[in-house]
Amino acid sequence: MKRRQFLAATVVGGAAAAMGGPVFLRRAYAQNPIKIGLPTVLSGGNAQYGIQAKRACELFAQDIKGKGILGRPVEFIYEDTGADPATAVRKAQKLVEKDGVKFLTGTVLSSEALAVSAKCPEWKVLLMSTINGAGALTAKSYNRYFFRINTSGPMGARAISLYLAESPMKRFFALGSDYAWGRDSVQSFSTQITAAKKEVVGKDYPPVGTKDFASYIGKIKQSKAEGCYLALPGQDATIFLKQAHQFGVTREVKPIMEIVELENMKAVGDAMEGTIGSSRYPFTVDTPKNKAFVQRFFEMHKVYPDMFDGETYEGLEWLAQVITKAGGDDVEKVIEAWEDSKYDGLEGEFFMRKCDHQAVQPGFAVQAVKDPKYPHLIPKILATYPGDKVTPKCRTEDFA
Amino acid sequence: MSLAIVVEQLLNALALAGLLFLVSAGLSLVFGILRVVNFAHGVFYMLGAYFGFSVVATTGWFWPSLLIVPPVVGLVGAMLEASTLRFIYRRPPIYQLLLTFGIALILEESVRVLYGPTAKGVDPPPLLQGAIEIAGTLYPRYRLFLVLLGLAVGATVWLLLTRTRTGLVIRAVAQNSEMADCLGADVARVRTLVFGAACALAGLGGVAAAPMTTAYLGMGISVIVDAFVVVVIGGLGSIPGSMAGSLIVGAAQTWGAFYLPETAMVIMYAVMGAILIFRPWGLFGEEE
Repeated sequence: MKRRQFLAATVVGGAAAAMGGPVFLRRAYAQNPIKIGLPTVLSGGNAQYGIQAKRACELFAQDIKGKGILGRPVEFIYEDTGADPATAVRKAQKLVEKDGVKFLTGTVLSSEALAVSAKCPEWKVLLMSTINGAGALTAKSYNRYFFRINTSGPMGARAISLYLAESPMKRFFALGSDYAWGRDSVQSFSTQITAAKKEVVGKDYPPVGTKDFASYIGKIKQSKAEGCYLALPGQDATIFLKQAHQFGVTREVKPIMEIVELENMKAVGDAMEGTIGSSRYPFTVDTPKNKAFVQRFFEMHKVYPDMFDGETYEGLEWLAQVITKAGGDDVEKVIEAWEDSKYDGLEGEFFMRKCDHQAVQPGFAVQAVKDPKYPHLIPKILATYPGDKVTPKCRTEDFA
Repeated sequence: MSLAIVVEQLLNALALAGLLFLVSAGLSLVFGILRVVNFAHGVFYMLGAYFGFSVVATTGWFWPSLLIVPPVVGLVGAMLEASTLRFIYRRPPIYQLLLTFGIALILEESVRVLYGPTAKGVDPPPLLQGAIEIAGTLYPRYRLFLVLLGLAVGATVWLLLTRTRTGLVIRAVAQNSEMADCLGADVARVRTLVFGAACALAGLGGVAAAPMTTAYLGMGISVIVDAFVVVVIGGLGSIPGSMAGSLIVGAAQTWGAFYLPETAMVIMYAVMGAILIFRPWGLFGEEE
C-alpha cells in the first residue's frame, strides 16, 4: 500500500468511526435527550466548586449509562460564568434559548443563583441548587421554579449552633465574607447563639478574595473569644486558617466553620486539625448507599467526594426520580411531582417542602481529624441532627 | 489602645507592603521602560507561587526555591516577550493590553490544568515557623521575613538602576528609546531583559507569598489590582514610588480593615483618586 492510500484509508476509516458511533447510540436510545445545563464556575479562584459539580455529573452519567431517564439519554452542557452574576444570567439564557435546556443547576455563588433564579419564571425553566447557601433563595426571593437540594447557610449555622449550645464555650467572634451567603450565615449564627444564652463579642465582613487576614486576626485575638465562627468561601477559608495558625491564635480561639470542606483540609493540612463546623455532606457518613457512592466516585475520579460532589449527585438522582414520576420533562409537571416528594439520599432521607422548595435533610456537626487510612484530614461526624430540627420555618430564615 | 496592638498593626502593614512591593516594582519597571500596561504580571506572581510549591514539595528546600524559581519565571516571561510583545510595540496600546490579558488567561488556565483546582499549601522553613514575642504580642516570624525581603529587594533594584552601567542603559531606554538606539544601545534586548527581570521579581513575590496565602488560582488577579493602585499612587516607572505606594496601600488595607472595616476598600481607592486629581503622575513619577 502506498503512503497516500494508507493515509486516505485512515482518514476515511476515522471519519466513519467518528460519525458511526453517535448514530448507533442515538438509535439505542429514544429520540431526543434530556438536557441539563450548568452555568457554573470553571475558571479562576472558585473553579473548584464548578469542578465538583462537573465530577458529580460525570459519575451520574456513567451510573445511568444505557438506561437514561425514561429511556432518554441525558446530556450535560457546561458554561463558565467566571463567578459573575451578570455573566451567569447571560450563560443561563444561552443554555435555555440556544440549547433548549429545561433544567439548570451548578450555580456556584449565591449571588449568581439569586440572579439566575429571578429569571427562571420568565424562561419557564427549573433551577436546582446543589451548592448555593444564601437563606434568601428559599425565603425572601423564593419562586416556584427554584429548588434547593443542599443544606442552606442558615441550616448549617443551625446545626453547629445546636452543637455549640451543649459546649462549654461562651464567647464567639463571627467572620463572614462580604456577600449574600457570608452575611446571611453570620446573621443566623448570631441569632441562634444568642438564643442559646451565649455571646457574640464581635463581627466582621472581609471582602471576598481577601489575601491578608492579619487585621481580622488581631481583632479576634483582642476580643478574647473562645471560638471564631467562619463563613468564608473555600480559598478565603484556607488563607484565613493558614494565617491564624501562623499567628498562633488557633490555640486559644477554636475555628468553627460554616462549611468544613475537603478542599480546605487538603490545602491547609495539619494546621486545620481539630477545627469544628457543619458539613452539608461529609463523605464519611455511614450508610450503605453512601459507602457505595464514595467507592464509585473514588474509582472514577481518584479523590474522595467533597461536599458539593455529594450534594450535586443527590440533586441529579432526585431530579431523575421526579422526571420519571412526572412521565416526561415538562417543567410544570416536574415541579408538581417534586413538591412534597421523598428521596432516599446518601446521608439519609430527604423531603422537598412544597411551601418553599427547601429539601429537609439531616444536619451534621463535624471535626477535622487525622486518619491514617486517608491522605488528608477527614470530617469526623460529631453529631447528626434530624431534618426537622435544622430546617427553618417555611419561607423564613428563622427556627422555631 | 495598647502598644502591642499598634506595633502589631504596623508590622502587618509592613509585611503586606513588602509583598506588594515585589509585585508592583516589576509592573512599574515594565511600564516605565516598555510603555506596556502588563495585565499578565499578576500571573507571573502566581507562577512563582506554584513553582515554589513544586520545588518545596519535591525537594523540601524552601531557601533554594527563593533562588531557583525567580530565574525560571523570568525566563518564561522573557520568552513570551520576545515571541509576542516585541512585534506590537508600535501598535496602539489597546493591542498590548489585549495581548497581555490573553496571556494571563492562558497561563492561569494552564496552571489549573497542570496543578488542579485545589490550593497548594507551602510550609515556611523551620527557621521561620511559629511566632516570636514583640512588644508583648506574638507575631509570626514569616511576616517579619517578608518585611526584610521587601526592603532588601527594593534596595538592590534601586542600586542596580542608579549605580551600574546596565542601570544607566535601562534608564536611557526609559527616557528616550529612539535616542538610546541611536547611541548604540540594543533596545530590543534591553526590553526583553527588563520584562524578564520584572517577571522574575513577581515570581519571587509569589514564592514568598505562598507560605502566607498558599498558592491558589486567582491569586494573580487579586494581587494585580492592588499593584496597579500602588503604581498609580507611587508613579509609573519609579522604584521609590513603588515602595511608597506599597506602604500606603499596605497601611490603608490593614489599618482600614482594623479600624474602619466597612470602608477598608474605599480608603485605598480614595487615596488613589486623590492622587489622580492632584498629582496625576504619582508621588515619585515625573510630570510628562
